[in-house]
Amino acid sequence: MLKRELKINFKSFLIWTSVLLLLFLVVFLVYPSIIESDNIKMMDEYVKMFPEEMLKAFNMDIASMSTAFGWLKTEGFIMVLLITGVYASILGSNIVLKEESDKTIEYLNALPITRRSVLTQKIICAIIYIVSMILILGLFNFIGLELSEDFDRKQYILLSITPLFSALPLFAINIFVSTFSHKTKKTFGVSLGIALGSYFLQVLAEMNEVTEFFKYFTVYTLADIRNVIVNVSINPLMVILSLVITLVFIIGTFIRYENKELV
Amino acid sequence: MKKDDTILEIINLKKYYGKIRGVEDVSLKLHSGEVYGFIGPNGAGKSTTIRTLMNLINKTSGKIIINGKESNKNDLELKELIGYLPSEIYLYDDLTVKEMLDFHQSFYKRNLKNRRNELVKLLKLDESKKVEDLSLGNSKKLGIILALMHEPKILILDEPTSGLDPIMQNIFYNLLLEEKKKGTTIIYSTHILSEVSKICDRIGIIKDGKIIKEDTVENITKNSVTYLTIDSDEINKIKNEIDLKIIYEQNNIIKFMNNLSPNELMEKISKYKINKLLIEEVSIEDLFMEYYE
Repeated sequence: MLKRELKINFKSFLIWTSVLLLLFLVVFLVYPSIIESDNIKMMDEYVKMFPEEMLKAFNMDIASMSTAFGWLKTEGFIMVLLITGVYASILGSNIVLKEESDKTIEYLNALPITRRSVLTQKIICAIIYIVSMILILGLFNFIGLELSEDFDRKQYILLSITPLFSALPLFAINIFVSTFSHKTKKTFGVSLGIALGSYFLQVLAEMNEVTEFFKYFTVYTLADIRNVIVNVSINPLMVILSLVITLVFIIGTFIRYENKELV
Repeated sequence: MKKDDTILEIINLKKYYGKIRGVEDVSLKLHSGEVYGFIGPNGAGKSTTIRTLMNLINKTSGKIIINGKESNKNDLELKELIGYLPSEIYLYDDLTVKEMLDFHQSFYKRNLKNRRNELVKLLKLDESKKVEDLSLGNSKKLGIILALMHEPKILILDEPTSGLDPIMQNIFYNLLLEEKKKGTTIIYSTHILSEVSKICDRIGIIKDGKIIKEDTVENITKNSVTYLTIDSDEINKIKNEIDLKIIYEQNNIIKFMNNLSPNELMEKISKYKINKLLIEEVSIEDLFMEYYE
């Protein structure tokens, strides 16, 4: 069962990962020429012209885009957060519900396997792919940075694992939401909405003190990139919160799925 | 059939989808080696009963006892006892027939290879084809193999012959009769009523979520009604006298649905002048139509 799940979900994993790898490849190929040009000083000056709220939203107030690592700390990791979040959300909304949507559930249900076991193997498959995506991206960028410039390795390693703390809760929330539906097309929009809406709230929360309270309504708070950039450490509270939220929604999914009417 | 042969029992099964009735009150008792025809019009509750039996949906009340144990969706031993063929088969399109059979086999600890090969050969299925490329008939064949290859004690078949050509239908009927000989209990849900008299031992007719008639095929056909056509100048008097359901009426000719014994009938109509009298057997289809209506 796990083998089959890994096989059928491999294609989408490959596409999503390749898109990000391609993007970073372009960055590593283009950045050396940008850094060497005189325009880089102008870019730093140009960035300073942006409103403070916007600089904060993209971490540009605490990192300079004048190096490849600087770009990663500002736009790069935000893109990783967003894309791994969207991937985890879609995977969550799809991986179990697909059987109902494709009507293969009637066959699967007749096999001598418990619902709990079906769910466990699907969740393991999803976690393998989410973690793999983050590891592959981390490794790729690490090699890219090694070849490009000198950088803070500890800070980089911590930064590259932070997307896990938002992707896992997003997966768990979406798999839980999917137990309320019978069709994937109904939950696809919801999963995108949760991932993108959550990101939008995060941007708002970063902007100023008035909108700061939005941080309590977005899972991206758990991937605390700013803290890693400033303090070169991961806030253990965020790690615990991320694991607790993931666990609560996964347990909720097991409870819901055990009694769900599969139609 | 011995009483202790009971392998499947449904007791007062009730299923409501919110306020909508799925099944009102269904009770069945099936014995080893019995083929039970489960008949009823659309929306009567056949599929709901089967889906509840398969634990796809949760019952509102009632009990389902399989092989002496109350049905439980997590009881893998009970699941291994059942082979299920849904009316519409949806399998994994990305796999070939061989991969699909291998996948199925991987869930059973026993070696299913011999039975699998026998069935593939009997139903003439090409294992190299992709599931998505199979015709309706071939999908059905694959569904039949998947339902039978683990040699279940109970077979639940929902409209099993739809999509099969007449030759394959006959092979399938023979296959079921072999299963029956081995002691497999079969629930056979169908709309094709001629199949019922061909392979079923007992029939349950479900209507509005309740079993309205249950008997052996033999008894149902033996005690069945006949059509009675009378041509008489005193047709109105006869109509009042025998008070039967009229199927057709024109001038002096009336066709009745007759459930009287021959003696009762003769006694009632002998006092009238009859020009013509025709007694015909009612087909099993007509009989069920009576219950359906």
